[in-house]
Amino acid sequence: MLDYMIYILTFAVGSILGLLYSYKQHGEPFVAVTKFNIPFTVISIIGWVLGFNSGNIILSAIGFLLAGFVMGERPGYGRKETAVGLIVGIIVYILLMCRLM
Amino acid sequence: MNLMANILINVIIAFLAGSLLLGLHRKVMARVQKRPGPPIVQHLIHSLKFFFKETAIPKTVSRVFYIGIVFILALIWIVGVIVGPVAHDSLLILFGVYAVYKIVEHNSGSSSGSPYGKLSCVRAVLSAATELPLFASIVFVYLITGTMNIGEIIAYQSAHGPLIFSIPLAALMFFMLIITKSPYSPFAITKDKALISGFETEHFGFLRGFMLFSESIAWYVMLWVFLTIFFGPLSAVGYLIGMVAISFITGFINAATPLLSPNHSVMTQITIGAICFFGTVLMIFTGVVA
Repeated sequence: MLDYMIYILTFAVGSILGLLYSYKQHGEPFVAVTKFNIPFTVISIIGWVLGFNSGNIILSAIGFLLAGFVMGERPGYGRKETAVGLIVGIIVYILLMCRLM
Repeated sequence: MNLMANILINVIIAFLAGSLLLGLHRKVMARVQKRPGPPIVQHLIHSLKFFFKETAIPKTVSRVFYIGIVFILALIWIVGVIVGPVAHDSLLILFGVYAVYKIVEHNSGSSSGSPYGKLSCVRAVLSAATELPLFASIVFVYLITGTMNIGEIIAYQSAHGPLIFSIPLAALMFFMLIITKSPYSPFAITKDKALISGFETEHFGFLRGFMLFSESIAWYVMLWVFLTIFFGPLSAVGYLIGMVAISFITGFINAATPLLSPNHSVMTQITIGAICFFGTVLMIFTGVVA
């Protein structure tokens, strides 16, 4: 259970850091952002892929930290990036499972 | 692993997971109502924030009770974690935990000296109507599996398949308890906004922090118990998907349903409970359930 505690703890810390960072970057009232942030998408993909598929506690923890960072951004930001990262992470997980079977 | 370390790890997981799930629940409600809603991590930040706020104690409170009840609340849900995820012990103890929780809800309101707290305390007695379907649900699980032990129920399900397929109406009764316990529920008569925050109204600072801590753990424990006793042996990913799905479903229900008045709430719960109870009895006697 220790590994799950580390994952959830790093995810929560990442979310809080993401929230603080995005409020520092965007102080304006709520806007539903339509632009696609490429660097955050890359971070999100790396995060979710590492989190689900690395099989290593430290790498998974770093992955969940990065995934939480993007997902935890203030409302209106990081939604599409998280969706892309999550979908890629799940696809890689399924492909790896198929390969093992 | 050392038992104390195991308990500590499980309590931390329950608190963090419960907080994030409640944050997700609030986000879903907001999106259904076409609002942006707070970040998912907001409930967790909110809970932690209260531990560092100034704690004021009103003059009208019954001081020992007012402070003590908060620790009892935290303690009973920690017991819930120990009995459930840690020890896989008896469902009856978990039923006891829920019964004591109702008493704590009642006494928390009455000790505050506030009229809002007292009204919430009276409503806590009415809302004990949820315990009847919960008890009936546990009885059916016992009748089918022949045991109250969670570990043995898991073993039964790994041999015979998940109980949700054999006693779906009992699962529905348990699910009604989850809806009742979820924030902004149509059955949450003790926390009606007409009562400000109900029995929590007069608890400030770290006392409120403990209450939010307990709420998060309670949410996690109830989802864990529901998934464990009706969906068979699950992996960590299974629990994650199940908990997220239930938080989504309850979020949708609560966003689209107004809060019922106390008498309607109790009658609705009792009616759904009675239909599910007699439905399950009928299924057993007609041989639908083996």
